[in-house]
Amino acid sequence: MKYFFNILPTLLVGAKMTIQLTAVSVLFGTIIGLFVGIARVSRNRLIRWLATAYVEVIRGTPLLVQLYIVYFGLVNVLDLGQYWSAILAFSINSGGYVAEIVRGGIQSIDKGQMEAARSLGMTYGQAMRYIILPQAVKRILPPLGNEFIILMKDSSLVSIIALEELTRKGQIILTRNYKAFETYGAVAIVYLVMTLALSQLVRYMERRLETE
Amino acid sequence: MIEVRNLNKKFGDLQVLYDINNRVEAGEVVVIIGPSGSGKSTFLRCLNQLEQATSGEIIIDGVSLNDSKIDINKVRQNIGMVFQHFNLFPHMKVIDNITLSPIKVKGMAKEEAREIAMELLAKVGLAEKAEAYPNQLSGGQQQRVAIARALAMQPKIMLFDEPTSALDPEMIKEVLDVMKDLAREGMTMIVVTHEMGFAREVGDRVIFMDGGRIIEEGPPERIFTSPQNERTKLFFSKIL
Repeated sequence: MKYFFNILPTLLVGAKMTIQLTAVSVLFGTIIGLFVGIARVSRNRLIRWLATAYVEVIRGTPLLVQLYIVYFGLVNVLDLGQYWSAILAFSINSGGYVAEIVRGGIQSIDKGQMEAARSLGMTYGQAMRYIILPQAVKRILPPLGNEFIILMKDSSLVSIIALEELTRKGQIILTRNYKAFETYGAVAIVYLVMTLALSQLVRYMERRLETE
Repeated sequence: MIEVRNLNKKFGDLQVLYDINNRVEAGEVVVIIGPSGSGKSTFLRCLNQLEQATSGEIIIDGVSLNDSKIDINKVRQNIGMVFQHFNLFPHMKVIDNITLSPIKVKGMAKEEAREIAMELLAKVGLAEKAEAYPNQLSGGQQQRVAIARALAMQPKIMLFDEPTSALDPEMIKEVLDVMKDLAREGMTMIVVTHEMGFAREVGDRVIFMDGGRIIEEGPPERIFTSPQNERTKLFFSKIL
């Protein structure tokens, strides 16, 4: 217990990086995912195909490999450094998953809504903007929260490129005292506290959206 | 007002409309009846291009929908549609359901759109529900709002796709009453319905469809009292 509180300040510095990394990546990922998700239901076959290809590639390859490609593979083309490499890889990755969430949200809206909007003379774009997306957002938010939680845990992967987030901080402490169980146990507890807090937030959101 | 020539519609290999020909005059109230799956709704949905015809021509107010230069959104502004399941926008208040399209599509000023909407709500007897959300209304009220919403675009033609089929019996009348008023005011209407009383009382002409074809048509009195075709007779024997 005493050991836990001894290393906690260092871990919290890492946790801050973890949160920051995750939040920025989910933000970019959401922007990417929104466009790709809308493209997934586009009436244009080429656009739909491109969006599908993106989603399949992202979901069909390991995040770690994607991170390697961005950090090591692109180092000669654009040397982003650890932080931005991690953000880029995670945003692109998250975009693929968020796209599917967005697509699911859009397709969960009753077909009659689009038909009613179009029958009133709205264009496809207007119907999307005023009718479909505002309703889809409510269904998208909870799974988006879950995506945030998943990405937060996956962000421990960036310890491998030595970005000093929570897991990496644990590794550094470990090299000094070899207390593996205690140190990683403490790291796990910090992750757990963060994900529990987040899932509470998601559940709260779900309840509020249900009652509306 | 509406002219349909040799209209055919296929869903994949399944043909649902065979060679439909018809004319609807301005101010006419046409009621389409027939068994489920006879193509009534599909026919109606072809008229405002919610379904694309496989072949044939539809001419609305002198404009052929086959013409690639036409803007279908413009055409649709003149054709209101009322759906079986109302399809109100659940995230918007009643008043916003009605004013959205006039404002966004027609570019109408907010105040003017609101004024028209309130008039229409009064007309369908729901002025006090302007600030309510659709899920706070009964089915009959929702459908009356849907009619007001369609009318707000000031269409020349109104299409009704089984407007009372999803309603509890005690709410059917209030919706039919609104439709009767509309017919009396001279609106051009095409109504797909199972309400034979309405067809008889309000319809200028009744079309009986079965198996994707127009089997018989004529004034309601003649169709109902002395149908010529065996299939029409069979249909009436089952429902009346």
